[in-house]
Amino acid sequence: MNIVVCCKAVPGLVTDLKIGPDGRSLQYQGQLLAINECDEYALEEAVTLKRAHGGQVTVISMGGIKVQDVLYYALAKGSDKAVRIDCESQDPRVASTVLAAALKKLEFDLVLTGTQSRDTLGGQVGIAAANLLGLPFSYAVVEVELRDNNAVRVRKELGGGRYAEVELALPALLCVQTGIQPLTFVPPARRIRARQQPVSSFSVADLDLRDEQLIAKGYRFVAVRPPERAHHVELLQGSPQEIATALLDKIRESV
Amino acid sequence: MAHDILVLVEHAAGKIDSITTQLLAVGSRLAEQLGVKLVGAVIGHGLESVAPALQGGGMDKLVLVDDPDLNLPSGEVQATVMAEVARQIDPRLVLIGYSLVGMELTPAIATKLGMNAWTNCVNVELRDGAVTVTRPLFDSTMHAEIALEENETAVIALQKGSFAARESTAKQATVELLSVDVQNIPSRSKVLEITEEPRGDVDIAKAEIIVSVGRGIGNEDKIHFTAELAEALDGVLACSRPIVDVGWLPRERQVGASGKTVAPKVYVACGISGAIQHLTGMRDAKRIIAINKDPNAPIFQVAHVGVVGDLFEIVPALTKAAKEAKARLD
Repeated sequence: MNIVVCCKAVPGLVTDLKIGPDGRSLQYQGQLLAINECDEYALEEAVTLKRAHGGQVTVISMGGIKVQDVLYYALAKGSDKAVRIDCESQDPRVASTVLAAALKKLEFDLVLTGTQSRDTLGGQVGIAAANLLGLPFSYAVVEVELRDNNAVRVRKELGGGRYAEVELALPALLCVQTGIQPLTFVPPARRIRARQQPVSSFSVADLDLRDEQLIAKGYRFVAVRPPERAHHVELLQGSPQEIATALLDKIRESV
Repeated sequence: MAHDILVLVEHAAGKIDSITTQLLAVGSRLAEQLGVKLVGAVIGHGLESVAPALQGGGMDKLVLVDDPDLNLPSGEVQATVMAEVARQIDPRLVLIGYSLVGMELTPAIATKLGMNAWTNCVNVELRDGAVTVTRPLFDSTMHAEIALEENETAVIALQKGSFAARESTAKQATVELLSVDVQNIPSRSKVLEITEEPRGDVDIAKAEIIVSVGRGIGNEDKIHFTAELAEALDGVLACSRPIVDVGWLPRERQVGASGKTVAPKVYVACGISGAIQHLTGMRDAKRIIAINKDPNAPIFQVAHVGVVGDLFEIVPALTKAAKEAKARLD
């Protein structure tokens, strides 16, 4: 079974997030990109399925050259091939159009990705790409079982402890939930070795996209600001003992 | 030209999800401001009881697609039917809940309609004449405000609990049955059955005091600090999703969109950053106490009382204080 895993490269540790002078953008120093955590679970699931059923895992990510780090990491985790799409966009419609065009160039039975990225928190690109390609899809998948009839049976969350058991004909796209497989540790030696593997890339021209498909449209960012609090939060200060006493009072007056 | 507002109603097992009331509140306010109509749409099978239950929500019209093939529809079929309903209504804005169901359907519907989708929104309002959505970025530590261009159509998915319901109105919606050729929608997936998480030993939803532990605990060996606090307070121990994902606590203890929704008298969040999926499950707690070392953690957006500090100092001190207080009472 051939599986493509779509992984987003997101800023790693960001400790100095600030609003830009224009009030509409964010600034931070985090130059290192890391694999988006939700997508790392998709990668683990893909590698697990490959070990059980054979086939190949191809990891794909979109962005500039810095994204290679994430692809090397995926190779070290057990991906067989890595592809970078040389295009940058945080617009979900553009990103899903580009991703769908790239998937068209690859051979696969299954596409796996996570539920959302930690930076834009949109959770759209996977399902949108499936729809552009006419693939069946499921979101928030917690179990994947390969069936004999060229299909997968999945369990997906409906919320509140309810699940749907769904059968999807292959090829299909699944957005997997965190925790679907335990995350594994990658030894540094394997990470170093992975850097010697080739990474292929698609340019926008390779994907036969028109310029207008690459332009976000219909909106503008007005402002970026810290969230408003639902109500005033009373912040307690003092020694741990003083705080504990104050907290206990608050708890007792509430029950 | 597209101008009305369409609300997609979420329901399961004959019950309308509470997100719908919030969508109708937002939608009716916007419809009044824009001087357009509010239309609701329900798809499913056996919808007789649904229409009366939705009256009073401020809708001008309610559209029902009732078809036996919509009894357990796949995501593909649901999205196709909803997109078809939207095409017939031709709305400017489509409002949907950002529930786990909505998360799957929103990008599918928007793609089929060729519209932008705005997911995870905490607000949508008319500002300086422009429909403006507010949504989180960067682990919810920031909010972006995005103004849609004039006459721009969009699917907007709203977070549960971000909006208060409105008082019900006397306005009666006209009810209309819409037929869609559901049987002939090509679908390569099918829902086999709906299952539920088996009940465990504890029902955290019944507790008056919940001590909840998140990723900030760092290590399985340290969970006991929070378990001891729960015991000292005569409460129960719960957790956020990452703790269940790594197997440190069972699924039945999970609070949030995928797990349980709780509204205890006291909710003590220890080392929980407050991802939206978690906040959805506990924001109605009467008093929320948050202990977190990161002052920007989104949990402080909903907390009533906060401690910015080391939970390994605060939690044991609180446990000790609670035990001493109990001993004095005995």
